[in-house]
Amino acid sequence: MTQRLRQLLLTWVLLVVLLAIEIGISFLPLDRSARPVVLLPAVLMAGLVGVVFMEVGRGPEIVRLFAVASLLWLTILLGMGSLDPMTRAMHYVRTQNTLASSTEQQPGTAAP
Amino acid sequence: MSEASATHEFQYSSAQHQAETAVSGMWLFLATEVLFFGALFLAWIYARHWDEPGFDYGAQQTSLVIGTANTLILITSSLVYSVGIAFIMMGNSRRLIQCCAIAWLLGAAFLILKFGVEWRDDFARHLFPGTSFGIHGPLRGGAQTFFVFYFFGTAIHGLHMVVGLVLVGWVIFRARRLNFSASYFTPAFVVGLYWSFVDMVWIILYPLIYLVGRGT
Repeated sequence: MTQRLRQLLLTWVLLVVLLAIEIGISFLPLDRSARPVVLLPAVLMAGLVGVVFMEVGRGPEIVRLFAVASLLWLTILLGMGSLDPMTRAMHYVRTQNTLASSTEQQPGTAAP
Repeated sequence: MSEASATHEFQYSSAQHQAETAVSGMWLFLATEVLFFGALFLAWIYARHWDEPGFDYGAQQTSLVIGTANTLILITSSLVYSVGIAFIMMGNSRRLIQCCAIAWLLGAAFLILKFGVEWRDDFARHLFPGTSFGIHGPLRGGAQTFFVFYFFGTAIHGLHMVVGLVLVGWVIFRARRLNFSASYFTPAFVVGLYWSFVDMVWIILYPLIYLVGRGT
């Protein structure tokens, strides 16, 4: 019992430390595209909650199967889903609205 | 789960079989929830990619203090509930009730901070997407997209929190009637899985909302 309480308390301390690291990283001047690294401590925190608080190691084998399967499906969902935004080159098109607003910002400019 | 001495329903071969089925069922449900929230996370990837400067500017308008306080509250709530489970495994029903009550109060505090304070402030600052949206200029589109994600994500998570509060309340009610013991506590354990999962979802939502766009 005491050992379990110690384990739970230690996990809580680790979670708070990871939270502090996460907040610290978020204030680093990282490139905009590199900013999702801020998520790394959060992934570790979620793993800690799953292993210690939810005791994924406890219960029948099928519990581990469901847990691993959910992570696999999530990886497929996010991985395949991210392919398009990660590989598509963005080309912005100037619409009538943006043309109108740019004209407003530059008085005297003739509208095309 | 070792509950060999407890009684069981007729369709199970033993009390342990019944307990394992309940725990497995909850994990299967949580696996579907992972995909449910996975779609939300994918929406974040798409929405941010479309207009990173505007999206990040929207994120900078959120309250980091309230978001961080809520994260600490949920982490602590999960800890306290797990301590309660450790106590009932030793047969201490009174401590389980106390821990569940603290976990419930922390969950309620989360909801009050999120919807009673933070959302209220967001509405007062006209951050709800629409014609009266308070951010103007070239970043307006991306910021609006961020707040669509913000309000939808926090509302869905809040709904899960409300369900969790009802479930924790139900565990308290049953524990007060001395329904749980060292040999039978499966419902309390299964509700704890759900409660910690909702915490886990917030742990991922927190940086997506408050941190990734913060330092740009």
